[in-house]
Amino acid sequence: MAKWRQQVTKWLVEKLDLPADAMMDLPRITMIGQLHIYIENHRGVMAFSREELKLRLKQGHLVIKGQDFVIKTILPEEILLEGTIEGVYYDKST
Amino acid sequence: MKKDWLEPINSYVKIELRGDDLESFINECLAQGIAIWNIERTGEGSVSACLYTKNMNEVRPLMKQTRCKFRVIEKNGLPFWAARMWKRNGLLLGLAGFFVVLFLLSNMVWNINVTGANPKTEYQLLKAAKDMGIKKGKFIFLLPNVRQLQQRLTNAMDNVTWIGVSLNGTTYNFQVVEKEIPKRKETSSPKHLVAKKDAVIYDMFVEKGQPVVSPHQFVYKGSLLVSGYIGKEGKTKLVPAKGIVWGETWYTTSVTVPLKTNFQTFTGNMVTQHKINLFGLNIPIWGWNDGEYKTQVVSKNETPLKFWKWSLPVSYIKKEIRETDGVKRVYTRSQAIQAGKAMAKKEVRKLLSHDAKIKGEKVLRQSVSNGKVNLSMHYQVIENIASEQPILIQQGD
Repeated sequence: MAKWRQQVTKWLVEKLDLPADAMMDLPRITMIGQLHIYIENHRGVMAFSREELKLRLKQGHLVIKGQDFVIKTILPEEILLEGTIEGVYYDKST
Repeated sequence: MKKDWLEPINSYVKIELRGDDLESFINECLAQGIAIWNIERTGEGSVSACLYTKNMNEVRPLMKQTRCKFRVIEKNGLPFWAARMWKRNGLLLGLAGFFVVLFLLSNMVWNINVTGANPKTEYQLLKAAKDMGIKKGKFIFLLPNVRQLQQRLTNAMDNVTWIGVSLNGTTYNFQVVEKEIPKRKETSSPKHLVAKKDAVIYDMFVEKGQPVVSPHQFVYKGSLLVSGYIGKEGKTKLVPAKGIVWGETWYTTSVTVPLKTNFQTFTGNMVTQHKINLFGLNIPIWGWNDGEYKTQVVSKNETPLKFWKWSLPVSYIKKEIRETDGVKRVYTRSQAIQAGKAMAKKEVRKLLSHDAKIKGEKVLRQSVSNGKVNLSMHYQVIENIASEQPILIQQGD
């Protein structure tokens, strides 16, 4: 059922040109150089240290690697991270 | 993000959290809608974060639930800052005291300057001003305003023509114009005494000179009364003639007295209101009674308050409402004539010097028209009619 629904939304996004992040609960990531990263539509923090932030997504995880991480702001669906960002990775495993 | 601008107002604490599963604590905070920010890993099993103090009570069960402990590192925000400041309340009170003192001193009389007066008048003026409350150290807003002062001082001082009062900052400036009493010049040059006006000689008292008229004689204006030539024929000598020649002169005056006059008098009932004007808004402090007299006169005295050299948008208003009473004065015909006579006499007195005497009065004509009594009076006056006239001596005579 969930799979089928996802297929439908994907089809809608493609055919009707709807915003993918809103329709499919995908994260919207905004980066300002290496300094800031702003992530919307996350589902909570899984791990946080100075070098790594692991966020839960609706599907899978988002891993941000870098140095001197500070969570500037965290709200239920948004997070603003500061530090020196070196990489953003998707981890499909649950 | 929206919380950022509230940070300085709401107090917040920076805490250090210790525990094994700190991420789940953060997630619990998010789920509960508790603001948490500036999260920083400080070591294995510890993070620092900022939280509002108002949320601390909600956070505690979450901490228990996720098995972590906290320690406060920093206290921030206005309430904490105020509490810290209060520890140094001496400084705070000193600062407030300084402003209060500066404010009070800005509204005090610091100096009184008098210009244009001789030391005697100046002393009298300062004394009169002192009676009205103008002294060094008095509050300006409690004193009557400049216009009233000017009026009252001018009335109080009789050897002064005019007093200009101005308030320059905290200094009162009195500008005085003194009455100039001309000095009698003692001239020893030879002169005659001549008549000032048409008169009948009544009496004379000659100190020096040769009288040429005798009592009951009619003289015209300018006719010689006392000659400056004395001595026998051929051995004449010139002297400054001196003396008083009393002559009977005549004055006519006409006065008009209305039979009905409306007067406004104060009944003595009054209310005083004290107000403070703040940015054009009147705030009553004392006296809420508006008077509500049938007829009333309101006098308003507004003093702006000052701070240092600036006028504040605050002023002190004293409002006095006095009840007036309309009094109607009605004269009968004979009363009006009496009053008219008194008025006419006063008027004549004004024209005469103080040593003159009114010998007799007569009503020349009286008529009543349009509710008014018109009166024409004739006065016989005994006054000094002598006036000095220098004798011109031609050079080489």
